[in-house]
Order: sequence, then C-alpha cells, then structure tokens
Amino acid sequence: MDFSAPHIGFVLASYLLTAVVVGGLVIAILATDRGRARELERRKNAGSSHDR
Amino acid sequence: MQNFANPTRFLALANALLPWVWAAALILLGLGLYGALITAPADYQQGETVRIMYVHVPAAWLSLFAYGVMAFASAIAIIFRHPLADAAAKVAAPIGAAFCFIALATGSLWGKPMWGAWWVWDARLTSMFVLMLFYLGYIAVWQAVEEWDLAASIARVVALVGAINIPIVKFSVDWWNTLHQPSSVFKMGGPAISNDMLWPLLVMGLAFNILFVALHLTALRSEIAARKLHRLHMHDVGAL
Repeated sequence: MDFSAPHIGFVLASYLLTAVVVGGLVIAILATDRGRARELERRKNAGSSHDR
Repeated sequence: MQNFANPTRFLALANALLPWVWAAALILLGLGLYGALITAPADYQQGETVRIMYVHVPAAWLSLFAYGVMAFASAIAIIFRHPLADAAAKVAAPIGAAFCFIALATGSLWGKPMWGAWWVWDARLTSMFVLMLFYLGYIAVWQAVEEWDLAASIARVVALVGAINIPIVKFSVDWWNTLHQPSSVFKMGGPAISNDMLWPLLVMGLAFNILFVALHLTALRSEIAARKLHRLHMHDVGAL
C-alpha cells in the first residue's frame, strides 16, 4: 500500500472505523458473556451453600 | 435441527465449537487483511482508494446475511414456537446493525473521494439505510417491551416485514439507475474483477461471516444465561 497516494486518509479512516466497531462489538459480547457466566456460577455456589 | 433447539444441547455444541470458530475467524481475518492491504494491487482508476472495498463489501454482505438469519429465526419461532429461535434472532440484530453501520460509513468514506459526495439518495444507499432503520427498530422493540412473549411477537413481525427489503438492496442496482456500481462478484457470467483483488475480497467476506458465527453463538450462550438469571431472580422474589 502506498501511504503517499491521494485520498489515503479515507482508506485509513475506513479500516480504523471498522477496527473500532468490530473490536467494540467483540469486547462487549465477550464481556457480557463472561459476566453472566460468572453471575450464574455465583448463584449456583450460593444455592449449594443454602442446601447444606 | 430440532435437537439443537434444546438449550442444553445447544450449549454443549456451542462450547465445543466456539474455540475453533474464533480461531478460524482470526486466521481468515489475518489472511484477508494481508491480501487486502499488502498483495492486492491498486486500481487503475481508483488508486489506493479501492482498498476500502475489502471492508465495505464484506460488511454489506454480512449485514444482509445477519438480517436473513434474523428473519429465518423469526419464521422458525412462528412455526415451531421455540423460544431459542427468538433468542437467536434477538442476538443477531446488534451484530447485523454494527456491520450495516460499517457498510454505510465506509461507503460514505469511499463515496467522497470517488463521487465527490459523502451521501446520495440513490436506490442502493437508500435501501441500505432502510435496512439500518429496520435493525434499529427491531432492537428498539426488545429494549422497549419488557414482557418477553409480547416483545418476541412484535419483533418477529418487524423482522419478517424488513426481510422484503433484502432483495431490494441486492437488486436495487439492476432495477434502478444508481450512482452505486452494479454487482461485480455475484453476477451472471462470473466475477468482473481480477483474481488479485477477488481472493482477498472473498477471504474477507468469509472471515466476516465466520466472525458473525462466533459472535452469534457467544451472544446466544450469553442470552440463555441471562434468561436463567432472570428466572432465578423471579424465583427469589416469589414471582414463580
């Protein structure tokens, strides 16, 4: 890729925007999944201690 | 397929598949970006600007595919009344909306240097904008309606009505005179672009689709957990 080419800023902006949106989406989905899995685990453990 | 509609079976399958799907998505994304940014030549007319195609076109394909998944899952929910189908449609929407936004924004960034305008109300751009509105409307239904069954019923209708727009987006460049170029990959007579440019485009398209599968399976697993937590909470407060 020629970084001195005309309009290269538009190309870089497109890839940067895509990276930010996809990265944000991946982080949001993974973080929500982990958080809920941890909360379920915590509830399960709390339930087990109640049973004892 | 009915077997996998059982949440327990689905979770077992998703947990086994997800590491491989994430790995495949990352490898394909790396390979696709290498092709798009390093090996693919600049266009003889558009110069380096053509490289926007490798994110714009796969994002547009995926936004149509994700809506297709939503509409299909909604139809399955209507026919078989299975709540996992509603959940599958629900979690596909934000992913599809994100890629629809990428397609619109990168299209705008491509349009300014090539057409001299950030936006024109031609048939392709307008139908993609309508697709974005359907995504936002669908997400808004789930956000606004608290009762699951009612939200699912309204969301199914929105998803199926919006599905009418998918062929309009695809064929808009054939049915109307548009500033947007006609299809150059999936067309009668085969692709109209050189192999040097075609393979990175197809690899990026595949990478985005595999990434969608990874995100969708993860989000669906997360949605199942959210519903379990909701039931536990309702049990705690004595509502169940």
